[in-house]
Amino acid sequence: MPPLVRRSIFVVCVTFALVLTGGALAGNGGVAPPSPASPNAQNIRDIYWLILAVTGGIFVIVMAALVVFVIRYRSNGRPREVEGPQVRGHTNLELAWTAGPVILLAIIVGFVFWKVSGIGATSGLPADQSAAQENVTIDAHQYYWNFVYPNGAISVDHLRLPYNRTVRLTIVAHDVAHSWWVPELGGKLDAIPGKRNHTSFRATKLGTFRGQCAEFCGLQHAAMLARVEVLPPDEYESWVQGRANAKLELGKESFIGACAKCHGLAAQGDIGPNIASNPLLNDPKALANVIRNGTGTMPAVGQDWTRTQMAATISYLQRRFGQGGASGGGQG
Amino acid sequence: MAARAERPPLSAVVSRGRTSSWLTTVDHKRIGILYVVTTLVFFVAGGILALLMRAQLATPNEHFVTGDSYNELFTMHGTTMIFLVIVPFWAGLANYLVPLMIGARDMAFPRLNALSYWLFLLGGIILYSSWFAAGGAARAGWTGYPPLSNLPYTPGNGIDLWILSLHVLTLSSLAGAINFLVTIHRMRAPGMSWMRMPLFVWSMEVYAALLVVVLPALGAGLTLLLLDRQAGTHFFIPQQGGNALLYQHVFWFFGHPEVYVMILPAMGVISEVIPVFSRKPIFGYTAIALSTVAIGFYSMLVWAHHMFTVGLPGYLQGFFMISSMIIAVPTGIKIFNWLATTWRGNIHFDTAMLFALGFIAVFTIGGLSGIFVAAYPFDWQAQDTYYVVAHLHYVLFGGSVFGIFAALAYWWPKMFGKMLDERLGKISFWLTFVGMNLTFFPMHMLGLLGMPRRIYTYRYGGIWEWYNLTSTIGSGVMALGILVFGINILRTARNGTRAVNDPWLAYTLEWYTTSPPPPHNFDRLPYISSARPLRDLRRRIAEAGA
Repeated sequence: MPPLVRRSIFVVCVTFALVLTGGALAGNGGVAPPSPASPNAQNIRDIYWLILAVTGGIFVIVMAALVVFVIRYRSNGRPREVEGPQVRGHTNLELAWTAGPVILLAIIVGFVFWKVSGIGATSGLPADQSAAQENVTIDAHQYYWNFVYPNGAISVDHLRLPYNRTVRLTIVAHDVAHSWWVPELGGKLDAIPGKRNHTSFRATKLGTFRGQCAEFCGLQHAAMLARVEVLPPDEYESWVQGRANAKLELGKESFIGACAKCHGLAAQGDIGPNIASNPLLNDPKALANVIRNGTGTMPAVGQDWTRTQMAATISYLQRRFGQGGASGGGQG
Repeated sequence: MAARAERPPLSAVVSRGRTSSWLTTVDHKRIGILYVVTTLVFFVAGGILALLMRAQLATPNEHFVTGDSYNELFTMHGTTMIFLVIVPFWAGLANYLVPLMIGARDMAFPRLNALSYWLFLLGGIILYSSWFAAGGAARAGWTGYPPLSNLPYTPGNGIDLWILSLHVLTLSSLAGAINFLVTIHRMRAPGMSWMRMPLFVWSMEVYAALLVVVLPALGAGLTLLLLDRQAGTHFFIPQQGGNALLYQHVFWFFGHPEVYVMILPAMGVISEVIPVFSRKPIFGYTAIALSTVAIGFYSMLVWAHHMFTVGLPGYLQGFFMISSMIIAVPTGIKIFNWLATTWRGNIHFDTAMLFALGFIAVFTIGGLSGIFVAAYPFDWQAQDTYYVVAHLHYVLFGGSVFGIFAALAYWWPKMFGKMLDERLGKISFWLTFVGMNLTFFPMHMLGLLGMPRRIYTYRYGGIWEWYNLTSTIGSGVMALGILVFGINILRTARNGTRAVNDPWLAYTLEWYTTSPPPPHNFDRLPYISSARPLRDLRRRIAEAGA
């Protein structure tokens, strides 16, 4: 190998390796999917690393050849009339770079099929056939998430899950398409009106993981954030039991998730009008009507709310912002 | 006969005027130039929309534009770049070049050709008029998925004008595509068999065939959407028995081949430029021609890889993964063949060649990230994030737009009879190349870190902010590079040096005639006995002189 070729390959390889290790040392600044908190996410990350290794190799070969040829065979003052060797092809070489990629891709495909068997997403298994120990329904709305637990308890934008238990998510929407995605816990799955999607996974780390709606869903798509808090099973059980009766908490979460993104955290008005001084606050029926059906540009945020959630939200609104209730719950 | 002066017919008078001759022209070269100039104007407009988006995303919680405006910006940016820039640019360039390259007098249907251009302009004007529509411009993304694009969720007439514009552009493209097919099939010079045809013409053959097959699907999908919005039907309204997912299938059956409609002609340009500036024949002509056809064919079998997260059954996801990965093989063949073409060549780094070599470098990244997103479990992470935005811009900017710049630099002397300035050309290449990588590379990382596409703002600082800021700075560098290219064009128009017939000692027939060519293109044609008729001629002259 001529020294120039060696040097160029060396430079390309070193740069590539430096970028990768640099990124990895910087606390995974996006060199790979984030550190997995479930076997699903782990399997996806394994697939990512394998493809990165294969394509990284191809990238280095192509770039090295490009750089070497460009330097080595530059005209360097030779006039245009000087022709290179009039080579029109080389059958064996061309067969090699057709068959080579086929083999590499077959390896990737095989690896993907092997890894995907350990992922519970989009399996489509009915609830009674899946090994899930916990069933949660995610009802996606413009622009918040409603989580419904097995005992009927509801939370908004903040999902609590038990540690190390298989959870089966049923993902639905009734307005426009959304997409459920928490990178640490695995891939995304769309919430499409008229379709029920299922995915199951097991959280293997305690803590809070952030996600956000990934399918463009309208004006406040950017504000459709989600938090998943993985709790020890006993803490989770007691939280679910408690939440079933915690009307005020539910009202507050619904306000922050469904109302405040447009009306402001103090209901002072932002994209939507001020609620705090709105006379509708004194008319629960009219208020429920607006929440259920929307008005003007306001989406029908509460179109499929249960009575409980509607009542909890209205009573929270009235307690906090209604006449004489200004002292109620100063937080937010 | 009486000495009564016969008045010439009105059409003859009109077609002599300086402006009116352009309005009434049916000459493929003039129509080609009209196309190219119009697409460059839309390119600037679409680029400004992109710069506004990058300004909004430079820092977290930015208030440079409102959320609503941002949604209009990305919808219009995507629609503009695809339907008003890249696809019609190739139509325009090919309008100019295909008849010249195959030794024809004009396109097969010159009037239909003029209709294609004027419909294209009309479609562009309709789209841009939607900024003034009730409720503002279309803002449901260039994909326009229902239910979001249905009336209750996107009121106003922006979407209706968007649909009308795409309908008009579809008609324009269909007429153009049929014209290309007939021209290529019926009007090649004596001796020009399929395997002696320039590779750019091969790519236009596949471009046109794909458009004829898939554009009707887009037209159908958009018609149903329009009926849902305005005529009370419910094809895509699930609450009334419709199916929102059906639209996605129809749209991507068109949408994915559309990607190859945008990239194949760029590959055709690269296959013309690299051998000429390496002073060698293209390595593996047959393999490149056939890989173009293979890519075109497989592009119609991969559409649901845009839908891996909608909840398709596992076996379908497996099928679409495999079919998508198959496309990597003919694409790889092309890249290896281009590299082999430069091997032991006499490489001249004129601007056209720089853009062609730059194409190989950045398009390879876009092609390889395509393998990642084809692996469906990984796509569950990457879909609808900035990873996909990075991937598609490496393909469409690093691929198609670099191809456009290479084409402009290479054929400018032929089209306008003047040489572009090489120094400014090289400056514009390096600025665009560096800016392009600065803008789009960090987006891979942003996507993996969890940043979805189409969000008008984000809350997190830290590393999100650094990547976004880098990207915004890169977009400025890129804009500067394109500005330099524009200055180059203006300077050349005022005082460029005259171009000779064949400044690059090229291989294909368009360089046989004058720069610019006369209205009838050629006085006479040589018999075509290889894929490089001009090199054959030069050798014959050299032998006769010796």
